[in-house]
Amino acid sequence: MYYRLNGVTQRLTGAPATAYSPQGLRPNVPPVSPPVIFATPTKLASEAGSQVEYLGPNRVPALQKLFQMSDGVPVHLKRGLIDKLLYRTTMGLTVGGVVYCLVALYVAAQPGNK
Amino acid sequence: MAHQAHAYHMVDPSPWPLTGAVAALLMTSGLAVWMHFHSTILMTLGLALLLLTMIQWWRDIIREGTFQGHHTPPVQKGLRFGMVLFITSEVFFFLGFFWAFYHASLAPTPELGGCWPPTGIFALDPFEVPLLNTAVLLASGVTVTWAHHSIMEGERKQAIQSLTLTILLGFYFTFLQAMEYYEAPFTIADGVYGATFFVATGFHGLHVIIGSSFLAICLLRQAQHHFTSEHHFGFEAAAWYWHFVDVVWLFLYVSIYWWGS
Repeated sequence: MYYRLNGVTQRLTGAPATAYSPQGLRPNVPPVSPPVIFATPTKLASEAGSQVEYLGPNRVPALQKLFQMSDGVPVHLKRGLIDKLLYRTTMGLTVGGVVYCLVALYVAAQPGNK
Repeated sequence: MAHQAHAYHMVDPSPWPLTGAVAALLMTSGLAVWMHFHSTILMTLGLALLLLTMIQWWRDIIREGTFQGHHTPPVQKGLRFGMVLFITSEVFFFLGFFWAFYHASLAPTPELGGCWPPTGIFALDPFEVPLLNTAVLLASGVTVTWAHHSIMEGERKQAIQSLTLTILLGFYFTFLQAMEYYEAPFTIADGVYGATFFVATGFHGLHVIIGSSFLAICLLRQAQHHFTSEHHFGFEAAAWYWHFVDVVWLFLYVSIYWWGS
């Protein structure tokens, strides 16, 4: 966590409000909190019911879990099949494109081919 | 399993720099092939590859930041520096075109009739559509600031509404400018006036389209709860870029449309 040292008193002054606060971690909350009941969607004090579901629920925590799985898969392939397909298409166009380009440049470099 | 003992981001090996470089190769040689052999296949392939590279590279950055938490404060600082340097390079890009305009217009040659606008050129009235365009972009600067404050205050609905309004204003500008291009009594081939006018305003229009696209991505991300009230650098970068686009227009309007008419 982030703490600030007061240079005059040589004491720690606690986590500042502007510390890095990713989703899922509420700033300035002690690590041990009372058990949360999941029967109804969890609401933060500032988010009234009308705002939580506007244009869809928050899927970020689920995606965070997915992308943080320790499976050694690089980030550009982490979502599985769709990533693999896109990657292979892109690489195919890359390699094919280089070959096509070299052929085109070779042809263009021939005398009389203008 | 070893964990890093520092706050920096060691990126996973990625194929996108290579595919991006190949895209640049294909676009440039494709341009040459188009000019000499009238075939657009190579250039189109390059553009497709560029699009795929941008989508996947920036998608991965969103994954690394929002989903994997790699964008710690030092990393964010680096990203901010990067965006500032990029915008600075774009400022210099436009500076060149303004230089060309002032070089031609401050001392008009005898071939132009010794005057500016040159003989035979009827400049657009700066107080008609160009003035409306100025108002539209200034308004969009206000709405994007409104969006930023909404995000910082956790006002989800307002953030989405103001961001949408900003993008709509951007589209409206592009539409008006396209109409102006169609109706203009002069073309890019009409001497140095046409050249400086259309190259400068044309590149600006391209940047408006790029900026609108960036904001549109931010709108999608905001709708998907990616931004928090304290961490939303993607949006800030888009807003900086948008303000830059607005400022360039103000210079264009004052120099080319108003002083140059």
